[in-house]
Amino acid sequence: MTDRRRINGPPGETIPPFFDDADRAPETAKGRFRPSNAIRKMFLKTGVTPSASGSAYLEISTSAKPGASGLKLSCSVHGPRSLPRSAPFSPHLVLTTHVKYAPFATRQRRGYLRDSSERDLSVHLETALRGAIIADRWPKSGVDIIVSILEGDQERETSRSQGDEVWEMMNALSGCITVAAAALADAGIDCVDTVAGGVAALVQDTDGDESQPSIVLDPVPSEHAKILAACCVAYLPTRDEVTNLWFRGDVPASDMELYNSLVEKGIQASRNANRVLVGCLTESVGEGDTS
Amino acid sequence: MSAPTPPTVSLSAPIFAKLTPHPFLLRTLRPSEPGAKPLRTNGRTPAETRPLRANPSSLSHAHGSALVRAGDTTVVCGVRGELLPVDRIPQFRPLPPRSATAAAATGDDGPQTIPDAAAAAGGAAIGRGELKDYDLLVPNIELATGSAPQFLPGVPPTTLAQTLSTRVCSLLHSTRMVDVEDLRVWYKPGGAGGGDSSGDGDVTMTTEGAHDAEGQEEEPERVVAYWVLYIDLLFVSFDGNPFDAAWAAVVAALRDTQLPAARWDPDREILVCSPADKRRLNIRGLPVACSAAVFLEKELSESGADAAEGRHWLLMDPDRSEETLCREVVTVVVDCSDGETRIKSIEKHGGTVIGRELMRGFVGVAEKRWREVKEVLKA
Repeated sequence: MTDRRRINGPPGETIPPFFDDADRAPETAKGRFRPSNAIRKMFLKTGVTPSASGSAYLEISTSAKPGASGLKLSCSVHGPRSLPRSAPFSPHLVLTTHVKYAPFATRQRRGYLRDSSERDLSVHLETALRGAIIADRWPKSGVDIIVSILEGDQERETSRSQGDEVWEMMNALSGCITVAAAALADAGIDCVDTVAGGVAALVQDTDGDESQPSIVLDPVPSEHAKILAACCVAYLPTRDEVTNLWFRGDVPASDMELYNSLVEKGIQASRNANRVLVGCLTESVGEGDTS
Repeated sequence: MSAPTPPTVSLSAPIFAKLTPHPFLLRTLRPSEPGAKPLRTNGRTPAETRPLRANPSSLSHAHGSALVRAGDTTVVCGVRGELLPVDRIPQFRPLPPRSATAAAATGDDGPQTIPDAAAAAGGAAIGRGELKDYDLLVPNIELATGSAPQFLPGVPPTTLAQTLSTRVCSLLHSTRMVDVEDLRVWYKPGGAGGGDSSGDGDVTMTTEGAHDAEGQEEEPERVVAYWVLYIDLLFVSFDGNPFDAAWAAVVAALRDTQLPAARWDPDREILVCSPADKRRLNIRGLPVACSAAVFLEKELSESGADAAEGRHWLLMDPDRSEETLCREVVTVVVDCSDGETRIKSIEKHGGTVIGRELMRGFVGVAEKRWREVKEVLKA
């Protein structure tokens, strides 16, 4: 069934441009340009949508081109507002999260209806934020958190990118958590702490089996030959609590040590992101004082 | 015994603006001090627009993109091309070979014809509007990004979003900004034979008239596919006057668009694009939209049949709070890039204040706006 409220374009299906890769050199993993325990540079700003109660914008630089940015997220928070009359009584703040990729955000054009991966991201984001918000201060009210992914964290080249989507989703989720926390703080909604997302991954840098897998922070799929496992953590630093943990990959079940250290590194990445978040918030508070 | 003084309540200006927006705006437009300038609540004079800022090529996955800001209204526009093979077009009518149409277009036009008319004649010579018939331009506007409290996701597009998409779409077709020749992918059978398989040897949509000199080919060249331009607009922040900002973003993004050269590979029977060879679209003219809202002295609720009576103000580039107070809105799209002002579209709805004289004056204001926007987009 077509969406009759939008302009749908031609009835026949269109095909995205297919590039002839034959005349291009086969790409290899670009290699990592930063130490394994450093995350990429981040730009965070609050107050981009003045009509919303709170809003924030996050940009994470990409490693491929210096100066170009990989992930671009915009988040707005509306509320707390009273629930509609038809809604049942709720003693807590009802949290609604929406994560939506823009149609031009990824290599393949996305539709306007949310697909399953976007719903998945929304659920993860809601879990991560629920642990941070003091929800019983607002009974009978609701808050909407909307994250628009203006640009996904993807390389433009399509040659070696098969199966990277899930790792890119993890990076997107950690960005969503950080930007949503900034927007929540901008909206003045009480939280126990600022929650930030971090990703750590177990990677193999060369294709051969001889190299030992290593753990890196904030992995970029195009920088590594193979990602074996990754974990995305939402972490509250002052309370030392993890509100959401998303682990995915192929790690031997017997190796608890590896599992633990991966989560530990994820927490470290989250701490780094949190420093940016706190810096941005103090800066915006300082601006408010002077003006 | 003095009479008890009535309790005085002092409220700040923002509270007044929120409680009684109409009298508040009226008061600032009609200041009591004799020398004061009439101002709006946002501090602008009635004819003052918000400065426009444009940032083209801000996205890496789209073929063309632009971020446009006017005050607190922020729009991101991404243009993405996808290929539509002709066998997927239900009622496709093959075109005559390119050399024939080119001759027809140049043959029956005098030397003094403007480019618009030449292109129109080119389209008329073959008698079809491919852009419209095959739906090659697909603009969509998304407001439900939390850009304002009234637009929340999870519901179908609002009436405003649908109206804006339709307006942008019809304006794209009526202004003939996009040249359909840029979107055609040509293929000449036999022309690409032999060992010459480099990009230049093949007939692409970009090689202009290189192969029509000989005329000894057994099969004429034909169109194998069209580019479909998906023009997606996302409002990051919404503060009134969405159409002007959206249209400026569309124009800026289309001017930024570079499509890769596409060719038909007969052996594999697929369309292949070359990543290195990119070509800008030929965008005709620079249409600029300019909107204003009419603010009446009488409040909307009490204004009955005699709404035209009483004073009124033309508020340029209205913001969100002003839009809720005004019913009559006028939008003029002008293009002065040919040296003279051409009105591409006039839209007016919601009232009876603006007549012929006011409209004529408003076109002058739109010309001024056009020069401002031109400065911004050319930068």
